[in-house]
Amino acid sequence: MIELETYFFTILVLSMFVNLGLALYGVLARPSLVKKIIALTILSDTANTFAIIVGYARWPSPTLPIKPPVLTNLNPSQVDILVFSQQAVDPLPQALVLTAIVIGLAVTLFLVFLTLQAYRLYGTTDVRKISKLRG
Amino acid sequence: MSPETLILGILGFLGLVSVIATFLAIMERDLLRAVLFSAIQSTVYAFIYYLLMAPDIVLVYIPVAVGLYPAIVLFLIKKTERYEGESGENH
Repeated sequence: MIELETYFFTILVLSMFVNLGLALYGVLARPSLVKKIIALTILSDTANTFAIIVGYARWPSPTLPIKPPVLTNLNPSQVDILVFSQQAVDPLPQALVLTAIVIGLAVTLFLVFLTLQAYRLYGTTDVRKISKLRG
Repeated sequence: MSPETLILGILGFLGLVSVIATFLAIMERDLLRAVLFSAIQSTVYAFIYYLLMAPDIVLVYIPVAVGLYPAIVLFLIKKTERYEGESGENH
């Protein structure tokens, strides 16, 4: 008998894997460059979600309530830090994801203007037609 | 039902909703509607991040993924073509 919490968490992780597969299909198989950009943003968001799920302390079956990675005392004592480390989620993946979101924005802007320039040169955003062009 | 179970249940439900939104965004031939489905998927992801105890990610993710990404892709669609697989003779 699977516990209800494990069941729900498995649904979340499996749906993220399905999203990853769908986004990979969009990047690799769809002909339009704009659709490829949309799929690439979904792909990077899904990868970020995986990182945050890894940092989620206390996967199913918790005994203590989990908290965001914030210390509320200005001068925490040793006991405070010990309790904090047992209850809070891991802040390192969150910091990495924060950086990845901003870098992803820059990469997406670059790709958008590359696509715009390709459209101005070739008159289409369909990769099948661009690959058939000669000259 | 404990609050923990409720939160994990909401997380599972949001995961399924995000799968539906992603599927529609990838399969849609009208790029304008694909961008809208992608924005819905980003909103669902923001709720997932909030429930996974990452509120600082939510603060960055909502303006970038719900505001900026659709805005620049809409700009791109306006400059190029709206339908996937459309012929591009009229540039």
